[in-house]
Amino acid sequence: MSRVRKLVLPLVVFALLVVAWEVAVPLLAIQPIVLPPPSGIARTMVSTAGPIAFHAKATLITTLIGFGAAVGLGLLLGFAIGASATVHDALYPLLVGFNSIPKAAVVPLLVMWFGIGTVPAVLTAFLLAFFPVAVNVAVGLATLESELRDVLRVLGASRWQIFRKVGVPRTMPLFFASLKVAVSSAFVGSVISETVASNAGIGYLMAVAASDFNTRLAFGGLFVLAAMGVVLYGVFAVIERRMTAWAYAE
Amino acid sequence: MSLEIPRGATVAFVGPSGCGKSTLLKLIAGLLTTSRGVVTVDGHAVTGPLKNVGMAFQNPVLLPWRTVLDNLLLPLEILRENRDPRAPERHAWRERAAHLLHTVGLDGAGHRQPRELSGGMRQRVSLCRALIHEPELLLLDEPFAALDAFTREEMWELHQALRLDRAFTGVLVTHDLREAVFLADTIYVMSSHPGRIAHVHHVKAPMPRALAELYRPDATEMIRQMREQIRPPRPAQPSTGALA
Repeated sequence: MSRVRKLVLPLVVFALLVVAWEVAVPLLAIQPIVLPPPSGIARTMVSTAGPIAFHAKATLITTLIGFGAAVGLGLLLGFAIGASATVHDALYPLLVGFNSIPKAAVVPLLVMWFGIGTVPAVLTAFLLAFFPVAVNVAVGLATLESELRDVLRVLGASRWQIFRKVGVPRTMPLFFASLKVAVSSAFVGSVISETVASNAGIGYLMAVAASDFNTRLAFGGLFVLAAMGVVLYGVFAVIERRMTAWAYAE
Repeated sequence: MSLEIPRGATVAFVGPSGCGKSTLLKLIAGLLTTSRGVVTVDGHAVTGPLKNVGMAFQNPVLLPWRTVLDNLLLPLEILRENRDPRAPERHAWRERAAHLLHTVGLDGAGHRQPRELSGGMRQRVSLCRALIHEPELLLLDEPFAALDAFTREEMWELHQALRLDRAFTGVLVTHDLREAVFLADTIYVMSSHPGRIAHVHHVKAPMPRALAELYRPDATEMIRQMREQIRPPRPAQPSTGALA
């Protein structure tokens, strides 16, 4: 019952907002070029479904490649930082410093190096996504209870065994929790880069629509982005639940 | 300090917080190394973590992603991976775990998740995990401190049953003087600043002991003495009625 409720309630609110929007545009005499009604946006989305699908696919692939690379490096870095105090002290401040750079500012450099296209988008997605993974994994390892370590050490367990048997499984809930954050970040990264310097992807589509004053198409792109973002987040939220059910006691 | 723990005996360390009881336990286990002096176990100086020890703490630290049985088998997995001669054959593992669970009254709980258990049950599992590889030395750091009074007394009896069953040498660190009197053969009262042994008490009552014995005059007198040794009584201040 409450599952249905949790699914239905936000959809009802969303539908009400769309209806209010639809009614408000003629009622307040808003110019469609400023704010088109949802029905107009929907018509445009249907008529340009082909190009939208093409660009959505481009964005999705870019995001997933950047995300995949970020997960790989984030895991390695997180394990290194969490397992070794020396690595932690040496790298963690640098990592925090790096993360505080607004990644949009890196895009022009990436374009200088790699030209306009997919590569800067993938790299931006990667740069945004690896930090949450690395931090969560490092925290998971570093907060291992000292008693547990002691219980295993007096059995003759090596550091590697403690890492494998306890550290890694213990970190998994944090790792999977970080994935849904990371995939959203990667998505943001690829769209930013596409908007500035690409010839494919929803970000590019929206930049073109904006330069044509095609407000409907720009809004269409926005809706597609929202839907993709929700789906990506949802997929990884479900994976998280599946993989680490033990961490959700009641 | 200098002391010797005979094989098969159980000794307890009591004393004020911060007197080094837990540190002493870690020194014995080889988890810490001495800056001066020597710890020898079984005739060998301790230089690194010992391998024939079981440990249990106030916090049972079970692995929440493993069932009770898999938690118990973790020590055996590690021994086996390390080709330790004490690792039993694989087929004997479950038998051994089932026997221990039976001894602590947790028959059939092997398939349950730690989160489904009460605090006392988790502590029993933790105790079983400390014993599954049949260590010769069992080190307990306030293992029952987080339990309610009745559960704690049950755990004392359980510990006694396990001790009679296994004949391990036991070192217990505790704040609970009754616990020390019930479980230990010798009790060392430690003082802080400097952390050293201030008094030694020998509990003469033979094993197995009954909880009711704790209320006999000799036991209560020993508890009273230790209490005074740890916290010397201060003259009661006459109440002025104000919080000055």
